[in-house]
Amino acid sequence: MTVDQLLRQGAVTEIVGPLCSGRTSLLAACLREVARAGGTAALIDADDAFDPASAARAGVDLRRVLWVRCGGRRDAALRAADLLVRCPGFALVAFDVGESPPRISLAQAFRLRLAVRRGGAALLVVARRRVLGAGAALVVETHRRGLAWVGSRPTPTRLAGAETAVSVLRRQGAEARGGGVMTWSA
Amino acid sequence: MSRFACVRVPHFIAVAVERSEPALSERPLAIVAGAPPATRVVEANWAARERGVLPGLTDAEARARCLGLVRRPLCDEVTASARHALLEACLGVSPRVEDAGAGLVHVDIAGLGRLIGPDAAVGERLLRAARAVGLEARVGIAVSRAAARVAARIGARVNVVPPGGERAVLGPAALAELELPEELAQTFARWGLTTLGELAALPRAGVAARLGAPGLAAHDLACGQDREPFRAWAPPPFWEEAQGLEWEIDSLGALEAVLGGVLTRLAARLEAARLWADALDVRLELASGGHHTRAVVLAAPMGEVRPMLTLLVLDLEAHPPPAPVVGVSVSARVVPRRAVAAGLWERSVPTVRDLAAVLGRLAALVGRARVGAAVLDDSHRPDAHTLAPFDPTAAGEHESPGTGVRGVPSEVGFSERGVPRTPVPGTLVLRRLRPPREVEVETDAAGRPAMVRGATSAEARVVTCAGPWRSSGEWWDTRAWARDEWDVALSDGALCRLALDDRTGRWALDGVYD
Repeated sequence: MTVDQLLRQGAVTEIVGPLCSGRTSLLAACLREVARAGGTAALIDADDAFDPASAARAGVDLRRVLWVRCGGRRDAALRAADLLVRCPGFALVAFDVGESPPRISLAQAFRLRLAVRRGGAALLVVARRRVLGAGAALVVETHRRGLAWVGSRPTPTRLAGAETAVSVLRRQGAEARGGGVMTWSA
Repeated sequence: MSRFACVRVPHFIAVAVERSEPALSERPLAIVAGAPPATRVVEANWAARERGVLPGLTDAEARARCLGLVRRPLCDEVTASARHALLEACLGVSPRVEDAGAGLVHVDIAGLGRLIGPDAAVGERLLRAARAVGLEARVGIAVSRAAARVAARIGARVNVVPPGGERAVLGPAALAELELPEELAQTFARWGLTTLGELAALPRAGVAARLGAPGLAAHDLACGQDREPFRAWAPPPFWEEAQGLEWEIDSLGALEAVLGGVLTRLAARLEAARLWADALDVRLELASGGHHTRAVVLAAPMGEVRPMLTLLVLDLEAHPPPAPVVGVSVSARVVPRRAVAAGLWERSVPTVRDLAAVLGRLAALVGRARVGAAVLDDSHRPDAHTLAPFDPTAAGEHESPGTGVRGVPSEVGFSERGVPRTPVPGTLVLRRLRPPREVEVETDAAGRPAMVRGATSAEARVVTCAGPWRSSGEWWDTRAWARDEWDVALSDGALCRLALDDRTGRWALDGVYD
C-alpha cells in the first residue's frame, strides 16, 4: 500500500486498529512523505503521545510538521482539527484521537468532511475504532502480524522490527477490498 | 548640486486628529486646549477656517461662529504619531530626511532623479507617500531647505523652483508666509516691507545691526540660504500608534474597532518603511488610572491588519483589561521585510496571514506553549525536545523523491493529485506516555522483566524482551538521570518500552510501539 493510496486531497482517511498494530508508524510514514515532497503537515495530538525522536528517526522533517498538543482534551482536539482543515495550504492534517476516541455525531462528521473538501487538505484520522463513520472516504484497519528480534532465543538482544497487515474496511464509491503487509524496522 | 524638498502638512495638529478619526475630515474641526473657561482653539482644519474658526479664539467664540463645530482636546500622542508617520513616509523615498517641526520635513533629494525622475516626479512620490499614511501634504523643491520651505507654502501642491530662479519665484511671496514672530513682523511692516524680495534686498549687515539674530534668520530665509547643517533623522526603535478616547470602552467589540483603526495606521507606516511587525505591545489606559499592557508575539512577521487584529483580540479575550479603557496605544517590534517568491514547483504552504490567524486561535485553544514545531534537543535524555515557533518557509529546500532534477516532479515521484507515490516502508514509532506510567515488574534471576502489572492490562507475562539499553547523564545537575530501557513483548499483545530508574529502582512504562 502506498501513501497516495491512503491520502487524497480534500478527503478523509481513517486508520483504525488496536494499540501496537502499527497505525502510528503508518501515520509517521505519511508525515514523512508529505514533508519530503515539500508539503506542510499538521498533527493534532489528542493524548500528547507523539514522540518526535522516533518520528525524526523515521525520516519526518519536524520543521514541516505543526504539532498541536491537546493534553487529553478531546473537545479541544476536535476544534483544532476543524480549524486546521479550514486553513488553506496544509497538505495533510493528521488527527491522532488517542485511545479514547471522542463521540462525533454524523452531522459533525459530514460538516468536517465538507470543510476538508473545501480546504483541500487530506485529513488522516488515527484511532482505535472508527469515529467519522460514513464521513471517511477510506478506512483501513491495521493488525500486527509479527515481531522480529535479533539475537538467539530465548534472550534476544534487540527488537528488529514488526509487520503490519493493512486491510481496507471502507472505500467510498468502490468495493472495500485490498490491503497489504508493511514492514517496520525498529 | 544639492536639491532639497520640503514636505509640509498645513494645519498639522488638526490633520493628525483627522488621521486618527477619518470621519472628521469632512466636518469643521477645532483642536482645543486649556481648562474651561479658558479653553482656546489651538488649531482648526480647512472646513472650520472657512467658517471663521481660527487659532486663538475662545471655545465659546468658536462655537458661536460655527454651529456644527467638532472639538477635540489637544493630544500629544496623536500629534507625535502623525509626525513620526510623516517622517517615515519621507524616509521611504529618500534615506536622508530632517525633522523640521510638526508637519514639516526636509528631504535631501540629490541623486533621486536617476531613480525616480525629474523633481516634479520626486515631489509627486513624496505626496503619495504622505497620503499613504493619511496626511495631505504640499511639497516645495529648491536648492536650499529655506527656499524649499517657502516654496512649499506658495504655488501648486508640488512647487519646483528651478536652480537660480529662487529670487524670481520666491521674491513676490508675501512676508507673512515666513510666519515670523509678532514683534519682528510688526517691525518689517513699519519699514514698509511686504514681500520676501524686498526683505532679501536689504543689506545683511544692516539687518544684523538693527534686529540681531532673529532679523538675520528672517533675512536668510528670505534669501533662501541655509545657515545650519542638515540634521538627518533616524527612525526610532519603536513604532507606535495611539488613540485617545473621550469615552470609556468596556466591551471587547468596541475595543476591537478602535484597535483596528490604530493597527491600520501602524500598518501603513510599516508599509511605507518596508518593515514587518514581529511582535506587538499593547498598552491600554484604564479609567481607573492604571494601565493594562500585553505583549503579543506574532506567529510570523507580518504587515497585514486583519491577522494582527485577530491575534490582539484573541489575546485580550484571554487577558481582558480589569477596568474600562480610555486610551489605546500599540507599538510594534519590527523586522525588515523579506521578499519570498515560491518556486514554480514548490508545494503550497499556508500564507502568513492564514497561518498567523490559525496559530493564534490554536494558541488560545490549547495554550501557546503547546503549539509549534518539535525540535530535538542535543541530549540523550529521554523525550528531550522543545517546541519552536512553526515557520514552514524556513524549512528550506526539500528533497523530492523520485526526481532527477531537484524540485521537478517525475512521473514516478508524484501522483496527479500532488501526493507522493512511494512505498510505505518505515520505522517503528513509539507512542509516548507523558508522564511515564509507573508499573510493577517482576524480574527473573537474571534481572530481566518476567511479569508486568499495570502497563496495558492488569497483569501480563513477558513473552520476549531485549535490553537493557543503559543511559545516564547530567549527573552534575539536579536533572540527573540513569536508566535501563527494555523493549518488551507482553502476553496481551502489547509491545512496550519499559524503563528502570537506576536511582530509585522504580519501573515505568515509557511508551508503546505502535
